Amino acid sequence: MDYEIKLDIFKGPLDLLLHLIESNEIDIYNIPIALITEKYLEYIHTLQLLNLEGVGEFIVMAATLMQIKAKMLLPQLANNEDGEFLIEEDDPRWELAQKLIEYKRIKEATELLKQCEAKQAQIYLRSSGDFADLKIGAPGDPLKDLSLADLMKAFQAVLESQEKPELDAVPKQVVSLQQRMAEIMELVTQEKHLFFCKVFSMLQTKIDLITCFLAILELIKLKKILAYQDSIFGEIMLTLIEEEVTVV
Amino acid sequence: MNLITARAIVEALIFASSEPLTIKTIAEITELDVRTAIQIVAELVDEYRHQQRGIQLLEVAGGYQFGTLPECAPYLEKMQKVPRSSGLSAAAIETLAIIAYKQPITKAEIEAMRGVSVESSIANLVDKNLITEVGRKDTPGRPILYGTTKQFLKHFGLNNLTELPQVMDWEKQGKLNFEEIAEVKNDV
Repeated sequence: MDYEIKLDIFKGPLDLLLHLIESNEIDIYNIPIALITEKYLEYIHTLQLLNLEGVGEFIVMAATLMQIKAKMLLPQLANNEDGEFLIEEDDPRWELAQKLIEYKRIKEATELLKQCEAKQAQIYLRSSGDFADLKIGAPGDPLKDLSLADLMKAFQAVLESQEKPELDAVPKQVVSLQQRMAEIMELVTQEKHLFFCKVFSMLQTKIDLITCFLAILELIKLKKILAYQDSIFGEIMLTLIEEEVTVV
Repeated sequence: MNLITARAIVEALIFASSEPLTIKTIAEITELDVRTAIQIVAELVDEYRHQQRGIQLLEVAGGYQFGTLPECAPYLEKMQKVPRSSGLSAAAIETLAIIAYKQPITKAEIEAMRGVSVESSIANLVDKNLITEVGRKDTPGRPILYGTTKQFLKHFGLNNLTELPQVMDWEKQGKLNFEEIAEVKNDV
């Protein structure tokens, strides 16, 4: 028997077990555990000889098989909580049989899905190619749509450049995120293309700077504004996203 | 807009969209009522079918999208030089099948059914955007529940989950019904 080919075929212990059951024409509800365990162990032995990964999962199943065999040998009695003996009616093989039947269905479902996939692979959907120019940002401009990391870096630069001596008594003027977002929207609407660092220029405290940065991130997330660069390492610009351009 | 131009507009919209376009979106953009939109799309589908084009209008993942005819596939493959393959291993498809039919489902539940670890298959499927996190199960540890995505429907040429091929006497085990899942998907 060529085991190497079998290794490719079986996707797990249940798969192997199902194969053994089917090839030996065994009734799934009445599995001769001794016979199956023997065949099963024979297979694992080869796996171990080949020193393959994933043997563990197969061994767990072997242990389960032996446990079932042991249960079947013992009188079918079980202890309940009060220490009384109850007669257990369940066949210890029942659970395994259920699992195998379920697995058989999974195999069937897998086959059906594969057929769907093969059928669909014959059809090339229009989505495989986009109209780049229908998207926000010019086509083929990798600098548009900056990543969060780029923005963080720019913000770091702003923080460093604006390190000003803190005043003795700073008037507590807390500007909310919403207010800041509205302000930025106004600025961007006015200026069309706004320098990222300019937004921060009139802010004094760290908390204001952070709120402002969060406001920018939020606006980008909401797709209200777009952050972009004209050249590598260039100034980051903010611009308004026109609603009409947005592709649905 | 009269009916001829409306049809042209709908055709253009579906052509230019990178995602399957739903009747709802078409109706919203064109300001047509839903019934007219359905009618126009149906006409377009028929038109493409009868004119023996290399392109067909397909209903996929709850929307409409242009696709090529299956008969053209060999030539398209020749054009792109490499045959198409999903790159999914047999094990990954098996995991995907379980998720598709039993969703929403946790990793542990899949592992119990397959009898093997499914860690890497799940990572692979998430990576390919065929499955996604759809919530958390209300059990200790709040494990992640997985479900299929729109991309899954597209990949397998299904319009919705009810179109999954029937598996013989596989009961639905009191899971979410398919319509609810479809709704969850649309929100994602």
